[in-house]
Amino acid sequence: MRTTAPDIPVHDVSEPAPVDIAHVEPPTRVVVELRGIKKAFGTVEVLHGVDLTVHGGEHVVIFGPSGSGKSTLLRTINMLEEPSQGSVRVLGVEYGPGVPGEPKVPRGDALELRRNVGMVFQQFNLFPHLTALHNIALALRSARGLPRDQAEEKAAIALRQVGLLRWAGHFPAELSGGQQQRVAIARALSLDPSVMLFDEPTSALDPELVGDVLGVMRALAEAGMTMVIVTHELNFAREVGDLNVFMDHGLIVESGKRGFFDTCSNPRTRQFIEAVL
Amino acid sequence: MSVVAVEFNPEILWQNWGLVWDHRGELLRGLLTAMEVAAVALVISVAVGLVLALGRMSKPPVSWLASIYVNVFRGMPALVSVIWVYFGWSLVLGINFSVFQAGVIALVLLYSAFISEIYRAALQAIPKGQREAGLALGMHPARVFVRVVLPQATKIAIPNIGSMFIGMIKDTSTFTVIGLLEVVRVTQNINSTTFQPFVLYTAAAMLYVLAAFAVDFLFRAIEKSLSTPPAGRIAGAVTGRRRRRIDLVVKQVEAVSGRS
Repeated sequence: MRTTAPDIPVHDVSEPAPVDIAHVEPPTRVVVELRGIKKAFGTVEVLHGVDLTVHGGEHVVIFGPSGSGKSTLLRTINMLEEPSQGSVRVLGVEYGPGVPGEPKVPRGDALELRRNVGMVFQQFNLFPHLTALHNIALALRSARGLPRDQAEEKAAIALRQVGLLRWAGHFPAELSGGQQQRVAIARALSLDPSVMLFDEPTSALDPELVGDVLGVMRALAEAGMTMVIVTHELNFAREVGDLNVFMDHGLIVESGKRGFFDTCSNPRTRQFIEAVL
Repeated sequence: MSVVAVEFNPEILWQNWGLVWDHRGELLRGLLTAMEVAAVALVISVAVGLVLALGRMSKPPVSWLASIYVNVFRGMPALVSVIWVYFGWSLVLGINFSVFQAGVIALVLLYSAFISEIYRAALQAIPKGQREAGLALGMHPARVFVRVVLPQATKIAIPNIGSMFIGMIKDTSTFTVIGLLEVVRVTQNINSTTFQPFVLYTAAAMLYVLAAFAVDFLFRAIEKSLSTPPAGRIAGAVTGRRRRRIDLVVKQVEAVSGRS
């Protein structure tokens, strides 16, 4: 029990504190900027013009019902889905077809983009014909051009980070779902991405194994990784989400900073959160 | 309907088998020739078949050309194919292939069409997520195909390719018409002086069956070595080296940082 008042300097609220210019936080750098993203599959439009900005070190959580377009939106960030319209800007380079009316800018190479953006899939998508170590080493050799020895060493270090170094020589079929997903996270992380995308990373896991994967993601968030997470794990979202985005029918219904889950006001958002939590 | 008198000749069953032993050298050389033609043709057919499969999966007009090829040559009998190549092409193109070459080309024409269908099915069986994962890692699309999709598709295709190989060996029997000294040609030659068709063709049939068993054995071994984790003796030698490499790297990293 605390018996004395905490030793915190008390501000005089009536008088604004003098602004020390040297201590003003520089605006955090924008890592991902989506503007006016539309995506149609054939004649069906699934994204109707979505804007989203992700700053360095920020953890953005996107949630919403199935078919709301949240996965598609995530996949436009690394051009696995090419938007029909809109601007995808990652680390200042334009990759999308652009916003109508704006002058065209040269588009970057998707290969370069993907080397800066890590992605983790719902179904893990490990390469089943390669060991855990070689899943990672192949990525390092292909995308970073590392020689075999260095790639394997770096792969082993990546496996250690997710606590699976002992499983280096095992094939995906010999690993549990949770272990597979942790290898997949290690594989994406090994390329030192500027931002990590998670597409419902725990939805295909046994409930018992979800914790392991969330643990790795939590550690990553604490380490300051920029993350965009599509998830149904709203408790986890509440915990790590700096920016929380609720999507429905191809649009962002409502978004908000920390505490969003308690303060959100849109009835559709409330309805969804109450149904899930 | 006329009634044919059935005359059972049991003595044939235990006579004249020595003939096969006397001509064992020629018969085995015939089988070897047949398997050589089929093996060379198999390797080329797999390569051509893969290209055709990719052609069929790409956009028109490439896909149209590939499917015309596949549908034409899947329907052509080996006998027609080899006569066409050996006698036909020499008239039109002035190229005179050896009987061995003509046999290989005839088989490649037919079996590349079959194998392209096998590969197409196998490639389409690989989940889309595999390609996406490779692309998301910043791998070049061609490298994703070679290192991620193709090995998995090949594993699926292997049993069917084995069946094709058996079919190819059997189809070499028709190359007797161009004078290739394969099993049937050799058998015919011996028969023309000894007049023992039952004994000789039984031996010929057994040689083909033997070859089929050998191919089955070989392809099962390949299949085993491609399973994950790999099994069987062939894989043992290859994976043993890989295992030791992995163990070494793990030890190095553990040594730097303590156990995970």
